[in-house]
Amino acid sequence: MSLRKSEVRSPKSEASGQQRSSQRGTAPPRKLSLDEWDARYEQLSRAGLREPFYGGPLRRHVALEGDLRLRQLRFDNSPAALRLWNFLLTENQRLHAARARGDKIIGTMKDLGTVPVMAYALPGLRAFYPDGAWWTPCLMECSDGLLQQAEQLGIDASFCPVRAMLAAFQNGEHFPRPDALICSTGAVCDDFSAIAQRLEKMGFPILWWEMPRRRPPAPGETACALPGNLSAPQIQMDCVREELERIAQVLSGLAGQPLDTETLARGIRNANQVRRLLAALRQAVYTSPGAPLPALEMLVAEMLAIHFCSDREETVGVLTDLLAEAEARLRQSQFVMAQDAVRVFWVNPVADLRAMNLLEDWGGRVCGSDYMFTHALDLIPEDLPPLEALARTALADPMVGSAQERARRIAADCRLCRAEAVVVSRIPGASHCAREGAVIREVVRAELGIPTIELEVPPICDAMLPTLSSRLQALLETAKARR
Amino acid sequence: MEVFCTSPWVPPEWIKAHGLEPRGIWLARDFACEPLPLAAGVCAFANAAVRLAERQSQSAVIFTTHCDQLRRGSDAVAEAAPSRVFLFNLPVTWQTPVAERIYCDELKRLGQFLTGLGGHAATAGDLFKVMAQYDRARRRLLDAAPWCSARAYAEAVARFHLDGSVNLPPERGCPQPQQPRIVPRGDTHERLAAAEPAAAGDSRAPGASSIPLALVGGPLPQSQMPLLDVIERAGGRVVLNATEAGERSLWTGSPLNLARPGSTERSVYAAKASVSQAGQDSFATPTTPGGCSADAPLLARLARGWLANCVDVFQRPNTRLYDWLRERITARKPRGIVLWHYVGCDLWRAEAQPLREAFGLPVLLLDADEVAPQRNTGRLEAFLESLQ
Repeated sequence: MSLRKSEVRSPKSEASGQQRSSQRGTAPPRKLSLDEWDARYEQLSRAGLREPFYGGPLRRHVALEGDLRLRQLRFDNSPAALRLWNFLLTENQRLHAARARGDKIIGTMKDLGTVPVMAYALPGLRAFYPDGAWWTPCLMECSDGLLQQAEQLGIDASFCPVRAMLAAFQNGEHFPRPDALICSTGAVCDDFSAIAQRLEKMGFPILWWEMPRRRPPAPGETACALPGNLSAPQIQMDCVREELERIAQVLSGLAGQPLDTETLARGIRNANQVRRLLAALRQAVYTSPGAPLPALEMLVAEMLAIHFCSDREETVGVLTDLLAEAEARLRQSQFVMAQDAVRVFWVNPVADLRAMNLLEDWGGRVCGSDYMFTHALDLIPEDLPPLEALARTALADPMVGSAQERARRIAADCRLCRAEAVVVSRIPGASHCAREGAVIREVVRAELGIPTIELEVPPICDAMLPTLSSRLQALLETAKARR
Repeated sequence: MEVFCTSPWVPPEWIKAHGLEPRGIWLARDFACEPLPLAAGVCAFANAAVRLAERQSQSAVIFTTHCDQLRRGSDAVAEAAPSRVFLFNLPVTWQTPVAERIYCDELKRLGQFLTGLGGHAATAGDLFKVMAQYDRARRRLLDAAPWCSARAYAEAVARFHLDGSVNLPPERGCPQPQQPRIVPRGDTHERLAAAEPAAAGDSRAPGASSIPLALVGGPLPQSQMPLLDVIERAGGRVVLNATEAGERSLWTGSPLNLARPGSTERSVYAAKASVSQAGQDSFATPTTPGGCSADAPLLARLARGWLANCVDVFQRPNTRLYDWLRERITARKPRGIVLWHYVGCDLWRAEAQPLREAFGLPVLLLDADEVAPQRNTGRLEAFLESLQ
């Protein structure tokens, strides 16, 4: 059933959305349970579904990898969504395969979108975020024992669920041990910094690089523009650029090839290809009258921006398919969430993916998002020296500036996407969540006057469903009443 | 004007040399003396610092970025009072030129902020004088570490951070402290009271029968200092106060070795100072770049020196903290470590197990939960009982 990667169509050879729809036997958009996807998969297979090498029925991830949470989720019924999920859920296997082929594995931590651009510019390097292990307890419904193991390592539930990463390193049962670990530090959350430090003490050497807290340029100080309509003093950008130069040397050593200007410029162009696709997808889905794709799939798709889920070329293919699907549905005015759904702007990623289903269950739809890495969605400037361009992009990280700056961008985005309400999703134990939620809500209320709430979503939110539901319901009702 | 500071790693000398009064927050009047409403996950110390900044409308407050809670706490007040709230970007890395440059730039920026508050541009002469004065005070406090009672010592160090003074109790009933050894800290040489405390070496000394402990961790403001009495009542004795504003914050040795006129250090400075004139004591004349841009190399050297003395949990890697602790734990032989932290302080809380592993000592986690002093007392008593 599965095809080898070489047989996967390149994005350039993709048929138009209309043609592809007929090839794939498109059904009206609907959200399916895992059981329903079994039947859907059979149907698609009979109709000649072509899949990449990591394809197959979703069910197998439950049976083979213990991704039990899939049984509780509801998925989009398109082949594009199937490809997205299979891509996401095979990342560890693909990393092991890459290691077996001789690729060097780079664990990049915390910066969410910067160092992977450099790594993927070089042949034979594959970057991934061990931070991503924070979803493993959710996906495996804690059957992995990672959170319990982290607790045994002294990192208890007072820390963010990213502590699962620590245990994943220790037991080696998830991703391969990286050949190098590179972690941004400085203006980052304390949870992650503390956990990464613990990791280093466990015998995993880390290359730390400084990310200063972004500040506005003082009067008379040389400033430089950053993506996202931000600015920073030139001196901060210079410091970040120098830190990236240090990383470039390490990566060059690992690749056995210098990361020169031309190579990095090409890497940036390739990263921008992904970012452009994502921008088009977000534009198509978030600004449409109804939602052509569900919030859950959009969250996963946005996550691809940070390290391409360990395969940049495939990310392009996955996003191209999703975009085509969304555009095809829009042409036919087919939506997974109807036009009267309340338009919600979502802030921060959820520890339990089920929360995204929940919003839609109660009549909301995501019309915009800030999942903590808007700087990985913004285009990297291509008209600047590449390292400087990357430094500027890294400094635009919403988490390294003030909460007010982040809030103002959220408010501006809410205005653009005509959000009717904002959900600030708290990550349990995360140090940044203690204060920023209140700031974001205050700014949004002051600038837009729309209702906002904060929700805390634990890695398994089943026990919290009544509370989460009632809070979401109240928000959505309030937003509707304002129409 | 008073300038409150939330971290010992912002040099008070720099503030003083600008003609303003540096005030370490730990002993500040009314600081953290009342229970404040806390949102979930907010650190009570950072919250109290925010409250102080809101209250002290006639003073300035310097927050630092070394922890997320203070960094974001600063966000809560900075927009309302930008002219008197300063966020100092403390670099977390320390082994690179970039860290040094960031620190240097922050000193320069702070200098501009201080002059904006009404301070004057710092002259090199003022700065050296103030540095010498603070250096002497720190040395006196370090010398007292082995013989001074834990509570009196904590208060004396906090008092020093508050106003630069040294107020130590008389050395009654204690043997004279041993001659301190010379131990390097980082790249600088620091005269350090790492010697065994009197009680540890002399069974006749007061408190010799109690159990020696190291108190390691975050800030211990005045309102939390009764913890030290509780430890003593429970049969313990703090022989090493490595809390934020404890002994750990008492670095000595000027970044320029307090060079006197004519010395090598000073001549380096003089060579760079463009405003000095023949026959004039240039030591006292040029201003440093906080006030004007006369001498960037001097500031860079100061930054390098100050940064080299920083020993804290937030640094990456935080090996210098462990090196610093190892020296003193080896010398003073505590039998256990009390790890003091605020609820929500991930940076310290994560170190419990590494401390245990590094020093082979039992570690008791105590949190500054204001509603649980009884629980802390009970935990301390049980801990000390288990060490007997």
